[in-house]
Amino acid sequence: MDEMLQALLLFWLPVAVVPFGVWIFLSSSNDQRKTFGRFLAFVGIVMVCTSPWTVPSSPSTAAGHLLGAIIGPAVLILLGIYLISFSGHVPVGRLPRSDRKLGMFLSFVGFAWFAGMHWWILTPQIASGQVNDYWFVFWPTFLLLTSCLSSCAAIASLTIGDNRKTESNYMFMLSGLGFLMIFLGLNVDGPLITTDDFREHLWLSVADLAGIAVGGLLSVMVFALVIFVYEKTLPSPVTIEAPQTAELEQVANVIASHIGGGVE
Amino acid sequence: MSGSRLAVTWRMMALAFVLPLLLILAIEITLSSGIEGFDGDEAFTRFANATLTSYTLLSLLLLGNLFFYGESRNRPLAPLVGMFCASLLGVAATFFFINQGPMLLEDNGSAQAQAIYNIVHTLVSAGAVAFAVCVSLGSMFSAITSQKRRINFTFEEE
Repeated sequence: MDEMLQALLLFWLPVAVVPFGVWIFLSSSNDQRKTFGRFLAFVGIVMVCTSPWTVPSSPSTAAGHLLGAIIGPAVLILLGIYLISFSGHVPVGRLPRSDRKLGMFLSFVGFAWFAGMHWWILTPQIASGQVNDYWFVFWPTFLLLTSCLSSCAAIASLTIGDNRKTESNYMFMLSGLGFLMIFLGLNVDGPLITTDDFREHLWLSVADLAGIAVGGLLSVMVFALVIFVYEKTLPSPVTIEAPQTAELEQVANVIASHIGGGVE
Repeated sequence: MSGSRLAVTWRMMALAFVLPLLLILAIEITLSSGIEGFDGDEAFTRFANATLTSYTLLSLLLLGNLFFYGESRNRPLAPLVGMFCASLLGVAATFFFINQGPMLLEDNGSAQAQAIYNIVHTLVSAGAVAFAVCVSLGSMFSAITSQKRRINFTFEEE
């Protein structure tokens, strides 16, 4: 098979199938269609993760390799946060209190796994000794944004929230953890990732984040402009006549029969 | 909340958002007497590619969104055509600027290869952004639910 066609069928098509499956799953009320959407998304993710072996000629499949490498710790962290959240004071769907400890353990293992990818032997490698390039994109971006967002959330809970000092301290701790990992990355070499590599990619991730923010903002502005221009061309809706006295009296009677609270 | 206090709150939140980055920069400048490893040309190339690609991809996503908007408006064509043109503009601008020479061409040999690399790169960055948002918001939520239950109002004595 032609290399381009192979990449299209075994990488790009599964990439497109994942959001399509999620969309079917979220938008359908029918159970069968929901299951079909879930199945499509799952098959898409599996095919993307196996693309480095099914389409070895395409350099884009390194992203599939990265997805396969980070899906484990990412799921552990998110599952841990879910268990911690829903074993607390929530009005519905509360989990047993013991799940809190399990959640903290899972989150810790997830973060330790990610740290092991930088400073231990778990680094995602395309070939022996060759680090997956997209790991250098994902890792600094994730650390930097987690630190920034947590710091912002900590201040938001202090200034907007009412007596939220304890929650704010937790968020400062998370921000500090992200910051500490960046600081360590800038000063401590891993077996495959040097401080110079990390430093260079950290600045590039800042450029990436700024670019994504500017591009995203521009497209949202264009979207709003298109809708604004279209809505402005529409004729104004037909105004109806003011209610007559008899209608107003009827409405007043209905309202009066529903307020007061004197009769059970 | 009064207007001036609201403005101060937003400023503080914006400052808190950039604080970790400013701290890293301050430490780097103090320890290395400059921003080591920072290449202005490479950073600009990355910024420009990220801007063009995220604009194009999000425009396409919003174009899909317009179908749902159209459901309540008897499916008008005008906004769809407008958004389609805006998306096409993004694609055309991306190829135009990449074809201008080495300015936006990273380690790739052709404009097509660079465009595909940009899409994959943006998807990975967007994945990192989405994961960071999930971790931060999830942690905030878990910090709130972990505290003692609050009673927000008291019943009046009869």
